[in-house]
Amino acid sequence: MSSKLLLFVMGCGLLTACEIDKVGIPRSNARVALHGMLSATAQSQMLLLERTRSGTAPSYDLSDPVMNTSLAVSLAQVELTTPSGQTFFAVEDRGQGAGIYRIALAGDALERGGAYLLSVRTVEGEVLTAQTSVPLGTADTIGEQRVFDRSRDTVTITWPVVAGGARSYMVRIETPFGPRVFFTDSSSIRLTGGLRNVDVTSLTRVFIPGFPQAVTVSAVDSNFYDWFRTENNPLSGTGLVNRVEGGIGVFGSLVRLHFEEFSVVTPQSEPASGTFLFEGTLLERRGTPNLSIELYVESRAARADQADALSGRYERRPFLGMEGCATCGLLGNVRNGRIELAMLRAWSARDTADVFTGEIRGDTIVGFYRFGGGPVRFVKQ
Amino acid sequence: MTGVVAGRVTTRADIGGAAPARAAAISVIGSAIGAVTDADGRFLLEHVPAGPIVVRARLLGYRNAERAIRVTAGDTVRIAMVLVPEAQLLSAVRADTRSVDVEMFETRPSVGTLTLGAAAMAGVPKVGEADVVRVVQLLPGVIARNDYSTGLNVRGGEADQNLVLLDGHPIYNPFHLGGLFSTFMDATVGGIEMMTAAFPARYGGRLSSVLDVRSAEETRPGINATIDVSALGASAKLGGMFGDNRGMWSLAGRRTYADAVQRIFTDNLFPYHFRDMHGRASYAFPRDLTVVLTAYVGKDVLDANLAEFDTDTAPSRATQGNWAFDWGNRVLGATLTKTMGNVLLEQRVSTSSFSTLLNLADGAFSQRNQVRDLRASGSLRSRAGSHDAAVGYEVAAHRLRYASGSAETGTTDFDLVQRPRYGAAWVSDVWRLSPRWIVEGGLRAEALNERDWRAISPRLSAKYFLTPDFALTAGAGRVTQFVHSMAGDGPLRYFDIWLASDSFIPVATAWHWVGGLQRRMGEAASLRLEAYVKRYDRVLEANASDDPQRRGDEFFAAEGKSYGVDVLTRWHRGEGLGGWVSYSYGVSSRSRDGVSWWPGHDRRHDLDVVGTWRVSKYRLGARFGYATGTPYTPIVGQVARRMYDPSEDRWGTGEPRLFIEPLGGRRNGARFPSAHRLDLDASREFVARGATFAPYVSVVNAYNAQNVFVYLYNYSTDQPTRRGISQFPVLPSLGVRVVF
Repeated sequence: MSSKLLLFVMGCGLLTACEIDKVGIPRSNARVALHGMLSATAQSQMLLLERTRSGTAPSYDLSDPVMNTSLAVSLAQVELTTPSGQTFFAVEDRGQGAGIYRIALAGDALERGGAYLLSVRTVEGEVLTAQTSVPLGTADTIGEQRVFDRSRDTVTITWPVVAGGARSYMVRIETPFGPRVFFTDSSSIRLTGGLRNVDVTSLTRVFIPGFPQAVTVSAVDSNFYDWFRTENNPLSGTGLVNRVEGGIGVFGSLVRLHFEEFSVVTPQSEPASGTFLFEGTLLERRGTPNLSIELYVESRAARADQADALSGRYERRPFLGMEGCATCGLLGNVRNGRIELAMLRAWSARDTADVFTGEIRGDTIVGFYRFGGGPVRFVKQ
Repeated sequence: MTGVVAGRVTTRADIGGAAPARAAAISVIGSAIGAVTDADGRFLLEHVPAGPIVVRARLLGYRNAERAIRVTAGDTVRIAMVLVPEAQLLSAVRADTRSVDVEMFETRPSVGTLTLGAAAMAGVPKVGEADVVRVVQLLPGVIARNDYSTGLNVRGGEADQNLVLLDGHPIYNPFHLGGLFSTFMDATVGGIEMMTAAFPARYGGRLSSVLDVRSAEETRPGINATIDVSALGASAKLGGMFGDNRGMWSLAGRRTYADAVQRIFTDNLFPYHFRDMHGRASYAFPRDLTVVLTAYVGKDVLDANLAEFDTDTAPSRATQGNWAFDWGNRVLGATLTKTMGNVLLEQRVSTSSFSTLLNLADGAFSQRNQVRDLRASGSLRSRAGSHDAAVGYEVAAHRLRYASGSAETGTTDFDLVQRPRYGAAWVSDVWRLSPRWIVEGGLRAEALNERDWRAISPRLSAKYFLTPDFALTAGAGRVTQFVHSMAGDGPLRYFDIWLASDSFIPVATAWHWVGGLQRRMGEAASLRLEAYVKRYDRVLEANASDDPQRRGDEFFAAEGKSYGVDVLTRWHRGEGLGGWVSYSYGVSSRSRDGVSWWPGHDRRHDLDVVGTWRVSKYRLGARFGYATGTPYTPIVGQVARRMYDPSEDRWGTGEPRLFIEPLGGRRNGARFPSAHRLDLDASREFVARGATFAPYVSVVNAYNAQNVFVYLYNYSTDQPTRRGISQFPVLPSLGVRVVF
């Protein structure tokens, strides 16, 4: 709570405050940041090595994993020693993978309960060391699928208590607005359809109709738990629990105990909801980017002058060399028959491929794509 | 050769009959002899030198009364005195408490003790609303970290080390808006007493200070009202007397209305307000029995349905959820006093609670902290000869809860409940050894059940009169604290999250050592200088990385030391120029595990000049402050924190949940620049239709000094930058007070 409260109070205070100067300051010494994980379900174990921001790197893209080359720590010698004394060396990805290291050690071969020692030596001579112990527990490698009607379903997920090595259980639910992640010491959780995501400032719902959403429960070690449950105070820069000697970061371990994918739905009773198929001539069909859209009223507007929220998925027209998802998510809104849809590049609200704007005329949606042209017509089935 | 003066003081109301003048200060002019009247208005002065003397009686809201008499050796002189209410001008309605100040000087060692009356506080420029705690910040030894906090750091102590009392009853977290305002409505405050060191033995439970806020007593007959309207909110106070002026009552309420005003101009919401209710009633029963009831309820409300905010987006705002964040205090206390000859019996009972509740998305996540304090205390005070001795007790049952979880998912992050029971017995004696010496000694024996802890805390202070107007003082005492805040050492003090000492959390202890001098310069002016050393054997520091699912890591026990010098000179007259100049020099340090640091409130120099100029119906006020910078931890870099996705077994950006977090350098290894500020205030009183109107205008930071509040850093470019965020810019405010 403290960070939320701090942000709130800062916000109140800053209502009257203003920026009074902005000055350049000396660059600082960058440290090596490690993100390492031993996962019982991974094909190989993955580590990231990069430098902390010290003012020596140009602006970077937050959505790019690691891997601004001026921040990535390349050519490091990464060594993992197993509890039985066996040593594995990590190999750095090539090309775009600077700073991404993989250890050819499958998750099912991990020795549970023993101490894994990690040693990193950079080209500059910095040495990082850390150790972790992989929790016990049976890994869920397959996963299940279920249809989840959020208007009526409540799911209780239980998992066996892990006898050793687990500090806590991490529950993670993927959503288009970012995952909902929390730790619990319990061995069960209840997921209601109306659950909201408190990890997102706008408190959107966790379950969004039309979207496939992975739910995982993992037993995690104390390194992982302490690193992710803490955070640095935005003003003092302290608070994180760091157990990496010689650098900063985490070397943790995790056993995925439960894995399933919810296909989220809700009744489609409103005019704007339903499955709409593209309608047009064969020629038009060959030129249209999408063949169908499936719409749900995600939330009704709280005020009369605002729009209802829509969610769903759309089916792309297949073509030679097509990349990405064949069926992707969409988010939008509708008010007084006017409809606007953000056609997502995959399932994340952050990445929009195109925007469709149109109106509902009876059972038909007519509109234009911002990039894909139009007009196009979709007819409700 | 001495005699005795016995007397009775009554008040004469403009309407209605006379009433006993309870708690009037009686003094013999030119000497240190004094007393306070009991519930029936009676007093007794012993060891009065034979010969002609002048006896003075003072009481809030009344003109001083003086009576010349001749004392005969070995005999008792009986006198009666009548106090007449001040004229019905607003400045007089806000009664002057200088008599209390003089009384303290003459009859107590009063080491580290400061008093301020409502009149002295009235001219201090306002930050939107007049606020007693903001005035307290201008006293010597009291540090406010910045403009956005009313948290008090007293003589190097942390902000949770202040015992705040409302009419003698404890009140936790007496702040609104994360510390921007206090819970005390200006019209309800009659005065304050601030004890900054070596408190008398009757006070315990905090390491640094005692701030006793006294409710204003309604001394006018009939029903009277005081209404304050400011840019931020409005408050109203009703009060009067009843039962042949034996009873007094007052009821006050306040609410801010920025949220309502916002709705008039825009559809965007500002879903925050706070409100207070404060009531007080007293009645003087026959046989010298008086009962006083005090009640306070305050609440801050920040409830928002984010979906109702104006700006629409795709996806629609309709997707967004509710945010509910409420916090507030409740205090209900009763005080019974009975005079039996020279013995005064006092009994208090109170319940005081503070709670915060953050409820995100209707139960998706909730976190709460509650502290409830059920307390009974009493004392028996006897004045006999040169002794003013007292014995008392205090017992308190607390319930503290700190819990977090999700009702939606049926998970509990943590749920810590504590039920400490605290008991104390104390004895004290103010002993007038001679006309030159006053010694106050005491012992406080304390025990806490949850930790099986017991302690005896001695308190001793003394005053030596070099002349009737000039005295040297010294004091020492041990203090303890068993409730602690997890708010930490940041520049913003939002909410104290309280936990109590138990088998995991030790009791904090400290020693105070004080020496100084006090000088009165006539009736209107005074000077006091005090040097202090405070040694913390154990001071608790909140663990920023505390794992709330485990016990024992909530706090670190550190050692600490604070020392410094405080100077205060005051002058106050009914008309003309009044005010004070306070200067503090202080040094604070903490250490743990061989590492030392300056705490965030360590400020070397702090100067405040407060002046009010009252001429006829005009009142002008000004305050200038200069303070050297407090320490902060510089940010020396940033780290990207990656998320691991167990569904795909890979590290990634984790969508929006990639955190760029600051990395702190050496703890409090830098200091903010010095800050200075000039505040101005002007008001004029006029009477119309039987009511007194006093419109005012205040300007905070009149010359727009750019004082740094915090620094924000950016290391994400190839030229790192630091931005300074200001404290208050120029803040004008308007308001009006109406009294009828």
